[in-house]
Amino acid sequence: MYRISDEHVDYILDDLVAKGIDMEDLQLNLLDHICCIIERELEDGGNFERFYHDNIRRFYNKELREIEEETINLLTFKNYYAMRKVLIGSGVFAVAAFMVGSLFKYMYWPGANILLVLGMVTFSLLFLPLLFILKSREARERSDKFVVGIGTLTGVLFSLAILFIVQHWPGANVLLFLSMGIAAFVLLPVYFFTGIRRPETKLNTILMSVILVGTIGLHFTMARLRPSHSQLAIATVNYVQGEALLGKMLSVNPPSPQLAEIQSLAAQVKAMVLQRYMGSATVPADFEVQHIYLRDGTLGPEFSENAAGVQLLRRLNAAIAGYEGSSGDTAIAGVLRQSVLNGDPSETGKRYTSMSLLNSISQVQMYLALPQQGKMAAK
Amino acid sequence: MIFSSELIKGTLKTIVLKLLADNSKMYGYEITQRVKELTGDRIQLTEGALYPTLHALEQEGLVTTELEYMGKRVRKYYKLSPSGKSRSKERITEFAEFMSTMSVLLNIQPKTA
Repeated sequence: MYRISDEHVDYILDDLVAKGIDMEDLQLNLLDHICCIIERELEDGGNFERFYHDNIRRFYNKELREIEEETINLLTFKNYYAMRKVLIGSGVFAVAAFMVGSLFKYMYWPGANILLVLGMVTFSLLFLPLLFILKSREARERSDKFVVGIGTLTGVLFSLAILFIVQHWPGANVLLFLSMGIAAFVLLPVYFFTGIRRPETKLNTILMSVILVGTIGLHFTMARLRPSHSQLAIATVNYVQGEALLGKMLSVNPPSPQLAEIQSLAAQVKAMVLQRYMGSATVPADFEVQHIYLRDGTLGPEFSENAAGVQLLRRLNAAIAGYEGSSGDTAIAGVLRQSVLNGDPSETGKRYTSMSLLNSISQVQMYLALPQQGKMAAK
Repeated sequence: MIFSSELIKGTLKTIVLKLLADNSKMYGYEITQRVKELTGDRIQLTEGALYPTLHALEQEGLVTTELEYMGKRVRKYYKLSPSGKSRSKERITEFAEFMSTMSVLLNIQPKTA
């Protein structure tokens, strides 16, 4: 009886894979079968390789793949090949439409959106479900089917989320977090614990799990992306220019004591926002050199309930109301209605971000810095 | 005389089910050897026909499997499931009726007569 070593087993397994046997189950069966033949029929010291190649030829007519094809044929269903063609076709179409669509979008060419929507919809609603049908038929155990199903669901949700983000459709974030949540808390644990139990899939399971964790982590990071420095720099420059313009207007047309009081209160509100979002009450002259930029974000606690910011806004409102009554300037009501000063000051934190509050206050200030003449004309 | 593969193809599932009904568990190579023995080499199951059939029987739930690890090799044993047992009987009865019908149809005289 010929003794088969581990090297022989590896040799045979490699050859089976090279000859196109991909199904693990079939690899195991054929490997054991050929080993049995060799053990019983090859004499000690015989030529292993020659004997193996002579005998494996008995297994097929044209090529070894026939066995796998026949197995898949019996395992799945008669229209397996038609489905596989649609699967490959839809996959290629989806990827092509997606890539060309992205190029069009980048170049601002017409038709980009149609291509992107078609590509993503084909991918998530035709390609992935078909893949699920074919793969779930191959999966034997219920846990494997479950993993394939959850994997497909995650893929569909994720690609739809990307489509929604690109198209600026509402609900994109909900889809994205839902897909990441399912991937992290359902798919990953089920996949990991079913795969790690079987010795033949252990290594692949660990590797795939690490890749999956990495991918989910990266996407989670991206989901909370902040605007780039250049965008922040532009916003800061805009703000500084606005302030310069306001300063010029006030110097050309010095305000009355009543208006000066309003301007001062407004400046205090802005200083409070700047303090939190830039670290100083005014924008430093060399902010570009130092890379100190205004950040946009939800307002701090000083703009909720009855905190300092809310009190300042109330005083500002009262001062403007006093001015409105004494000057007879009714046009200011229209300006205020569009601004942060419209509504309950204690709700400001819910309605405004740092940047939008600054802009809104600046616009009211500029209106009040206009010469009286202009306001009379507007009236 | 070795029978043609077309003749064997239609009866392969029946052969496998019957063998598994008579033996508690068998692996692929063992099945081919047993068939050879029982038929005096006149029926030789090919690997290309046997394994797809075994996989199909497994998917239909007629057989269950058991893995035996032998170093780097894994041997897969097949066993009849309860539904496989009743199916085995059904198929044998069906085939017996088929044979008697065929002998009438083709006017085959029993050899013993």
